[in-house]
Amino acid sequence: MGTRDLTILTDVSMITCIVQRGKAEAVVQAAQDAGAQGATIYYGYGSGVRERLGVLGLAVDVEKEIITTLVADDQLDRIFERMYFAGELDVPAAGIMYVTRLEKAATYIPQDIIERIAAKGEISE
Amino acid sequence: MPRKINFSSFSRELNVHKNQLSYNEMIPPVVYDEAGRELPHKPAALVISGNDIYRLLQPYLSVRFLDQFRAVTPLAIYLAAFQIFILRQPVMDSGIITGGLISVIIGLMLFMEGLKVGLMPFGEALGTSLPAKAGLATVLIVVFLLGIGVTFAEPAIGALQTAGSLVDVARAPYLYTLLTAWAGTLVLVVGIGVGLAAALGTIRFIYGWSLKPLIYLSLTPVLGLSCYMALDPELAKVLGLAFDCGAVTTGPVTVPLVLSLGIGIAHAAGKGSDSLSGFGIVTLASLFPIIAVMLLALYVSAQVSPAEIIEAAAIASAGTTGLAWFERTPGLEIIGGIRAIVPLVIFLLLVMVLLLREKVPNPGIIGFGILLCILGMIVFNLGLSYGLSKLGEQSGGLVPAAFTSIEAVDSSPLYVMSVGLFISLGFAWILGFGATLAEPALNALGMTVENLTNGSFRKSTLMYAVSLGVGFGISLGVAKIIFNIPIAWLVVPGYLLAIALTWFSNEEFVNIAWDSAGVTTGPVTVPLVLAMGLGFGNALGAIEGFGILSMASIGPIVAVLTTGLYIRWKLSRRDLQAAQQNLQSTKPEGI
Repeated sequence: MGTRDLTILTDVSMITCIVQRGKAEAVVQAAQDAGAQGATIYYGYGSGVRERLGVLGLAVDVEKEIITTLVADDQLDRIFERMYFAGELDVPAAGIMYVTRLEKAATYIPQDIIERIAAKGEISE
Repeated sequence: MPRKINFSSFSRELNVHKNQLSYNEMIPPVVYDEAGRELPHKPAALVISGNDIYRLLQPYLSVRFLDQFRAVTPLAIYLAAFQIFILRQPVMDSGIITGGLISVIIGLMLFMEGLKVGLMPFGEALGTSLPAKAGLATVLIVVFLLGIGVTFAEPAIGALQTAGSLVDVARAPYLYTLLTAWAGTLVLVVGIGVGLAAALGTIRFIYGWSLKPLIYLSLTPVLGLSCYMALDPELAKVLGLAFDCGAVTTGPVTVPLVLSLGIGIAHAAGKGSDSLSGFGIVTLASLFPIIAVMLLALYVSAQVSPAEIIEAAAIASAGTTGLAWFERTPGLEIIGGIRAIVPLVIFLLLVMVLLLREKVPNPGIIGFGILLCILGMIVFNLGLSYGLSKLGEQSGGLVPAAFTSIEAVDSSPLYVMSVGLFISLGFAWILGFGATLAEPALNALGMTVENLTNGSFRKSTLMYAVSLGVGFGISLGVAKIIFNIPIAWLVVPGYLLAIALTWFSNEEFVNIAWDSAGVTTGPVTVPLVLAMGLGFGNALGAIEGFGILSMASIGPIVAVLTTGLYIRWKLSRRDLQAAQQNLQSTKPEGI
């Protein structure tokens, strides 16, 4: 049995973006165009501003799509901004997004990338 | 020290103004009453300004507008293009027709949205709480009355009444009187048919009955009455209408409202887990009204004689000079719209408040939805008169010019008889095939069916089977008008074939096939096809132009049942081959 490696990623943040049903695809595309690796979408119901808009609230879907994506701290602001405008969050009742600082993350990392970074001496044991 | 700035980040900085604001600044103050208790926070209504309202509403409206636009425009373009390029006739009143079509689109958009926010919440609330609070008998009565109510609210039902004005009283007196003097009663008996079907369908859900015997039982009177009425030359002219009524009833109001109630009841009875529980009601709701209309025709024929009707019509037409405001457009459409929705709303309200003793959730929003429904119905009805019916009647009236000489077209017949006939039937076929394939309800049914059959009946297979069925059905219906074939000759063998296929098919395919007939007749197709048939019939001097829709409902039933049998045969043959191969591959080891 060979040993198995686990590489911990640090300096990771999670962006969570809640938009109306149907908007997620554009938001994920914007995040990926800006360099995010992937995104997870799940569905939920939400309310708040919708009820305070009166009849105009009918234009707001109660069904929401929640997008989470993990990004490096260096690209955080760029991606955050792109997602904000892709989701058109500057419209009333369109949704909200926020950033959570993560302590660590781990996933599959291609061997050549590990070697390249190790060559620069940026991997700590 | 020189510094480098990325130009894109520089320009972004110019466009996006980033500000920071502490959320703490935005929280509302905590308010206490005299006793020092904290009062719950009630946020004030949000007032937004012009540009924000536009940005909020623009995607909401454009999605809904485009939905209806996609349903109406291709059909209208097809009809107009056919008329211009094949028949070489300009579209008359094109301005009025375009305006009418736009109001159909807007009317449907408003109506559908109103249905979603105004009427569906009622249906859902009834479906979940009615079975819990009332006995089976009460539930069934409510379902029955709801069936009548939704029939009046069905947008396509208005097309029947519009069609009445095109019938010649001297040649088909019973048909004329059913569509004019008895028009209200006609819709009522159709509604009673739908109501009975909904009640029976609900009982079927609860006890898990098979659909097959119900089909045989309800088709027996349909076929018996058809044969009886076909023998009487006066009554035979009503048969086309009776069969078409069955196709008209299963539209965008009836299906979701009645189904949501039926499924809710089945769930409450603990029988909702069956994968087929949603099916069947649509089938019964398209068969029962046929019987109801036939019985009404028999009753009318016992009450008045053809001579009396013609006499009465003559008196009525003599007195038409001073029509009241509500008998002319647009007054007629406004009254029609209100009469279609308001009784249904009052009924739903009464059940909700008196029977369930529940408060109406969000009365403001629901009221707004109902208002949208009424407004949408009025606009749709206007569009029906000026757009869809006019266009359908016009192209229906001109198509015969392809093979025979008619007054409206100078150079007719435009083509040799055989070519012209082929063009006319081909026109009808493409119309039926295309309109059905584009119907959103069919797409939804296709997905359900693919899931139900674990992928053995693919979505596209079903969609093409149904569309082919409708295409051939409409062609047959047009052929019926051209060659003046009595409708009974087509309908009776058609249903007998469907019965035979039903006998050999398994329960799942029977459910799917018989329901697929109902989804094909949407609020755009029905008026267009009805008006086309009547215009066609008038141009040819046929007695009545009904029957096309009924052929369009038998077509898909036969097509889907046949496809189902074919798939089963293919599967069983594959299993057989696999078994033989297994046998062969195991043989050498055995020896």
